[in-house]
Amino acid sequence: MQLPEKAEVVIIGGGVNGAGLAYSLANRGLSDVVILEKNYLTCGATGRCGAGIRQQWSTEANTRMAIESVKMFEGLSEELGHDIGLRQGGYLIIGHSDADAAQFKKNVAMQKSLGLGVSYLDPSEINGIVPILDAEGMGATCATWCPTDGHADPFHTTFAYAKAAERLGARIYRRTTVTGIDAPDGAVSKVRTDRGDIKARWVVNAAGCNSAEIAAMAGIDIPIKPYPKEIFATERLKPLFKPMVISFHDGIYFSQQEHGQVVGGISDPEAKPQWRAMPSLRFLKRMASTLTRYVPDFRHLKVLRQWTGFYDVTPDAQPILGEDEDVSGFMQCNGFSGHGFMISPSVTKALSEYILDGRASTLDMKALSKKRFVGELDREASVVG
Amino acid sequence: MRIEKHPILDFGRKKKVSFSYDGNPLEAFEGETIGSALHAAGIKELSHSLRFKRPRGFFCGIGKCSSCAMRVNGVPNVRTCIVNATEGMVVERQDGMGELPDAEFGDARYEILETGIAVVGGGPAGISAAIEAARQGAKVALIDENTMLGGQLIKQTHRFFGSKEHSAGIRGIKIAGEMFGELRAFEAKGLVQILSGATATGYYKDKRRRKEHLLGISKGNDFYELNADRVIIATGANENMLQFPNNDLPGVYGAGGVQTLMNVYGIRPGNRVLMVGAGNVGVIVSYQLLQAGIDVAAVVEAAPRIGAYHVHAAKLRRFGVPILTGHTVKKANGKGHVTGATLVKLDDNWKQVEGTETEVGCDTICLAVGLTPSCELLFQCGAKMKYYSEACGYVPLHDDEMMTTIPGVYVAGDASGIEEASTAIMEGRIAGLAAAKGLAEGRGGAIDNRIASIKEQLAMLREGPFGFHAACGKGKILNDMQSERGCASNDSCDPVPEFTHSRPQTYLFADSTQSKALRTRTAHEQKFAYPADRNTGGRA
Repeated sequence: MQLPEKAEVVIIGGGVNGAGLAYSLANRGLSDVVILEKNYLTCGATGRCGAGIRQQWSTEANTRMAIESVKMFEGLSEELGHDIGLRQGGYLIIGHSDADAAQFKKNVAMQKSLGLGVSYLDPSEINGIVPILDAEGMGATCATWCPTDGHADPFHTTFAYAKAAERLGARIYRRTTVTGIDAPDGAVSKVRTDRGDIKARWVVNAAGCNSAEIAAMAGIDIPIKPYPKEIFATERLKPLFKPMVISFHDGIYFSQQEHGQVVGGISDPEAKPQWRAMPSLRFLKRMASTLTRYVPDFRHLKVLRQWTGFYDVTPDAQPILGEDEDVSGFMQCNGFSGHGFMISPSVTKALSEYILDGRASTLDMKALSKKRFVGELDREASVVG
Repeated sequence: MRIEKHPILDFGRKKKVSFSYDGNPLEAFEGETIGSALHAAGIKELSHSLRFKRPRGFFCGIGKCSSCAMRVNGVPNVRTCIVNATEGMVVERQDGMGELPDAEFGDARYEILETGIAVVGGGPAGISAAIEAARQGAKVALIDENTMLGGQLIKQTHRFFGSKEHSAGIRGIKIAGEMFGELRAFEAKGLVQILSGATATGYYKDKRRRKEHLLGISKGNDFYELNADRVIIATGANENMLQFPNNDLPGVYGAGGVQTLMNVYGIRPGNRVLMVGAGNVGVIVSYQLLQAGIDVAAVVEAAPRIGAYHVHAAKLRRFGVPILTGHTVKKANGKGHVTGATLVKLDDNWKQVEGTETEVGCDTICLAVGLTPSCELLFQCGAKMKYYSEACGYVPLHDDEMMTTIPGVYVAGDASGIEEASTAIMEGRIAGLAAAKGLAEGRGGAIDNRIASIKEQLAMLREGPFGFHAACGKGKILNDMQSERGCASNDSCDPVPEFTHSRPQTYLFADSTQSKALRTRTAHEQKFAYPADRNTGGRA
């Protein structure tokens, strides 16, 4: 398939944000959009993620973005004409200390003020939500519970966006690698690929862990590092619990998928940024020992597989979004630090507003520009995995 | 359903054990798997598919297809074809997905093991590798998923072809017996450690590993970290599925599954069998069925000619078994169990000719439609893999001493390309010797000489009519390996997809994701109309 000579918007990266943005633009009438994906759709972080969707955040900006995203996820299957596998089983966040309790109370108050249905729980209330958890084994001192959190299928969500975008006129080029970006006089003009060049008014950098490399092609420096993250999936069992259970203290998250597998991951405090990573026995051991402490009955569960993906991590675990200050027409849509899937609806909507209207009405993107890394950072506290 | 008299085999049945199935008392002979014992008692419906709740029965018999998953002693999803029945065992059918176990979790060991060479797979290739390496003085750990070593070799009651050095004229089971004897001798000397009923769950590169290679090994509730200087992967093959309506009915078996029941446990798979595939496997297994006193309704073969050795086909003809070339199974018939099949003619383009359907009455359909290399562990460890039609699937690039693109990781047998038991033995020997280099002291020259002589024998073996395709494939693999080594410095730094499949669960049937890949491959094969002797000539 021949690449077009030019396009209004060229999106680099066929993950959920690239596909979502193409749809948002095309849906509002800007159909001269091209996605360039070097491998296949969802081949990066999207296709390897834990699939969770959470609204319980510690900063107001993130909470707003997440609430907005869940509203959009709720209507997405119908809007796109393709089931995205949304299941709202809730998120149960476990706290382990007095400090956690204080922070959780603060979070819940803020989240409630934004209209989120969320509650603070004592340890004795945890089994009312997930009976198989061992509150004592977890060392739980408190928990928060939001029943409208949940998960969706990242593959189906991305394919649904991509198909809808293509129906509206957007074009997707798979197995196409970007080799350079021309940005003379501080403005993007052309994207070079191994299959030819495309002139572009806008270039969107939605390349996940490769975003720093793509930005560098336009002479832009962004602080994104790839952190390998592992997940395992067990054999299938009949439904046991619906919520995603997470703990920032232990770095663990797990849920039971609709098809019965328990899927989850755990962070590794010794992990260093790197490009090459194989599934590790170390992860398998950490995950198994922590999970069976949370749910002793899971000692019988057999692990079926484990895999590795990458978080595109920024110094404050917040994304870099919006038009670059140094190169006009170059849009950043990266650095999601493990949360790119769950906020993709509101992020792609805001970016499409910026491109079409000159400003995003639903999101303050100034706070998410790369310029913030110069001063002191306000790090998101509620990060897991 | 038990075979009481057999012209070749003595099943050596001794002690009986009692177990219960859904509350009813049943008996098994000691050493028999649960799946086989249930089959002997006439219980053929072992599970139900998860999505459409279709009945599923015994299919592969070697822990690959999962259609025999049941609840055993309170633990769900147990592959009953590779777990032995024991006294007092409680076996229950699980309705779709399993329930959380209510059993006590018994003592679980976690141990760190060290060895010279870890051999994954205890079939002819793996055992040969272990013997050769041990003979050179190397320490070996042999891991096999089944309770009984020997892979498919312990099911081969026919005499092998070839020349004298290739064990020609000797039955596979006899060759296996001799190999076990040698292996046990090395075990007694402490050179070989045998882990059966154990699964290699993954290949790891953890920093804290004690040797160059690290495998995770799961055995019952136990888990081992197996540290090794070298790894030989001899994981064999999966049986191919054929796509037709009702191909998942209990009573449809893989040819290996039929051989396991019939030749290992002495259990009749059924009373009247329709064999699909007239390659060596299909024709030889048909003859074995006749030997066991089981009726063979017909052999159908999609290709226009018989792929098997004519001497085997002639035996069938003498028994009056029709071999229908240019035919395939249109569908299996029956409710809950096979009661027959509809056959149909194929035209020159492998398309079904309408109006040519005929009905065959049978209670068993045996699929002998080729094998696919079992390469999960090789994919996962990062070895460079490539599709070769001659090898019947993706296999790792390897050199003439069986080393893959990962230094110290070797491959042998069907996992390196589908061939025969005799070539698997040769490849296993070469891999075992090559891996022992540097581990065994002061005998480097002797090892090289022995490898050279085995290579010669292997080349001779591949000169036969059935070796030709394999030889072509091996030549291509060798070339690709050489060019790969030439450009090894050209390493890309892109993250590559890495997945660990800790238990190779291959769902073979219509409502699975795996079946798509199989369907595609079948279509691909049909398109290119491969000669039958290549893709069905599994094990002569």
